[in-house]
Amino acid sequence: MAPGPWWRIGWRNLGRNRRRTLITAAGLAFGYLAVVLLVGWMEGLTAEMIESGTSTLSGQLQVHDLDYRPERKIYDTIGGRDGADVDRLLGEVAADPAIEAAAARVFGGGLVSSGEATTAGVLVGIDPARERRVSNLLRALTAGQPPEPGTNEILIGSEMARQLDVDIGDEIILVVPAADGSMGNDLYTVSGIFRSGLAELDASYAMMPIESLQTLVVLDPNRIHEIAASTVDPWLAPEAADRIRARLEPLGLGIEVEPWTRLRPEMLDYAQLAQAWNWVIIVIVFGIAIFGVLNTMLMATYERRREFAVMLALGTSPLAVARTVLAEALSLGVLSLVAGAIITFPVMIWFHNSPPDLSFLYGDYTFFGALIRPRLRVEYSLEMWLLTGIALLLTAIIASLYPAIRSARVPPADTLSGL
Amino acid sequence: MSGGRPLTVLRDINLEIEARSAVAIVGPSGSGKTTLLALLAGLDLPTAGSVTLDGQLLNDLTEDERATLRAEKVGFVFQSFQLIPTLTALENVLVPIELQARAAKHDGSEPERRARELLARVGLADREHHYPAQLSGGEQQRVGLARAFANRPKILMADEPTGNLDADTGGTVIDLMVRLNQEEGTTLLLVTHDTQLASKAHRIVRLSGGAVVEDRRVSAP
Repeated sequence: MAPGPWWRIGWRNLGRNRRRTLITAAGLAFGYLAVVLLVGWMEGLTAEMIESGTSTLSGQLQVHDLDYRPERKIYDTIGGRDGADVDRLLGEVAADPAIEAAAARVFGGGLVSSGEATTAGVLVGIDPARERRVSNLLRALTAGQPPEPGTNEILIGSEMARQLDVDIGDEIILVVPAADGSMGNDLYTVSGIFRSGLAELDASYAMMPIESLQTLVVLDPNRIHEIAASTVDPWLAPEAADRIRARLEPLGLGIEVEPWTRLRPEMLDYAQLAQAWNWVIIVIVFGIAIFGVLNTMLMATYERRREFAVMLALGTSPLAVARTVLAEALSLGVLSLVAGAIITFPVMIWFHNSPPDLSFLYGDYTFFGALIRPRLRVEYSLEMWLLTGIALLLTAIIASLYPAIRSARVPPADTLSGL
Repeated sequence: MSGGRPLTVLRDINLEIEARSAVAIVGPSGSGKTTLLALLAGLDLPTAGSVTLDGQLLNDLTEDERATLRAEKVGFVFQSFQLIPTLTALENVLVPIELQARAAKHDGSEPERRARELLARVGLADREHHYPAQLSGGEQQRVGLARAFANRPKILMADEPTGNLDADTGGTVIDLMVRLNQEEGTTLLLVTHDTQLASKAHRIVRLSGGAVVEDRRVSAP
């Protein structure tokens, strides 16, 4: 059956008072822009928090001995005191399709001294070539260069350098408890200084070639504390961890494979909270819009009481009259959605690719232990665009229910009296 | 209700209208002419008594059933034309046909052909794509006539169809309505002050104070 005249009437009625239609459609379209942009910013902030929080040092996924966390004892290396085939482990982790790169690490903790100054430090033994693809610290150098393998070079944070009053080429002394119960100590040359922006890292962390730290803390070359990995997408880390755990299980090493969602549950909680806020934003913005549309539709339908009475007299059922009003509202919603999309997507592309930099207002800040740059970066979310579009159409329809019911209840005899 | 008190608009009306006859309901303003027309069309229901339309007791029908009955059997002509402003002349004429098709749960046969034919019969073949605002009053009422006959109604109800037209245009509309009424074999029920129009009817019913004060047969249908 061909569509009745009611859709035509609903659609064309939008053109009867174009200014009113344009104002209402503009309100809904800007509501769409506001929601998509706000949600995009929330998602952008969340994405930056996760990226920064996982990429600065921790990586998106880590492999440890089952007993290593949370105490992080120096002798709880992967594979226990016998150690493991590190190259094979790295190969198995990197073989997962979601993994971008993997790097082995050794940790130690002790005193870092220079002259009269001494500070506590966390020492990280790294393979600089691999580490560069897993974390960002080696890219945050403010001076010098990463430590060369096979040397006694060390990379320290800018705050540690300030506290120790050292610069590139200066020597520092490390005194650390070793895995065999002895105290390891040696002289190291500062090859580089990094500045991550995170106070804890810049004041306490130092990085050196992995074999150099293994020597210092008396660990064999096959004994490491951690394999850290980066993923192509942070949200793929949980599934990748499951696959890698299953892949490594036959080796019988007694290891844990944990994604960032378990290593940094507070970040996951925030991401989930942000998603819940997306709905709050939708409800608030379109909740306000409902009253604007309701006002417009009430005025429009009141002006058309006689038209509805004629339609009822000609044999239109009250339900069909209501349908005409709802068709008009839905047409208005579609028009607004198209207008909203036209103004929203260029703004989204701009804010995604060249987010306005607000560093002239305030500097970097930390959020859940992640360094956030003051930029209005937005993330694309097709799902939220669609849901916001549906919310816009529902707003138009819900706002028109009452006017539609009133229109269907127009008393034709009284209204047509004297026509 | 008027001023919080019940108001009796019609009383003791006992009227039977023969099929294919033309009946004019006349009387002064406030005599209940339009209310009677609304009751006969099922737009309203009487608080007492009953109305039967083409053998169907309207009192027993729901609002939707009465709407369906009107779509199938009743045509309307209004004093102020009352075309739907967002539809073209052709689309306005199509409305009752589409409603009838829906009521009968099937598509009408060639509804556009029927609508075009009616517009041609009222002399508006070249104005079918014009909107009401682009038509003169007389043209709008001719579209109203075409719309009223579109669903081949058994009864045509016209409420002051020439009330908003000048004498010449009103005369043209009257002639058209009478001619179409004869050609289509429709029962015509006219509410009018226009004596020229009333004179075209077979029977004149005069109301006063809500009661029939005269029921005069002028000619045979």
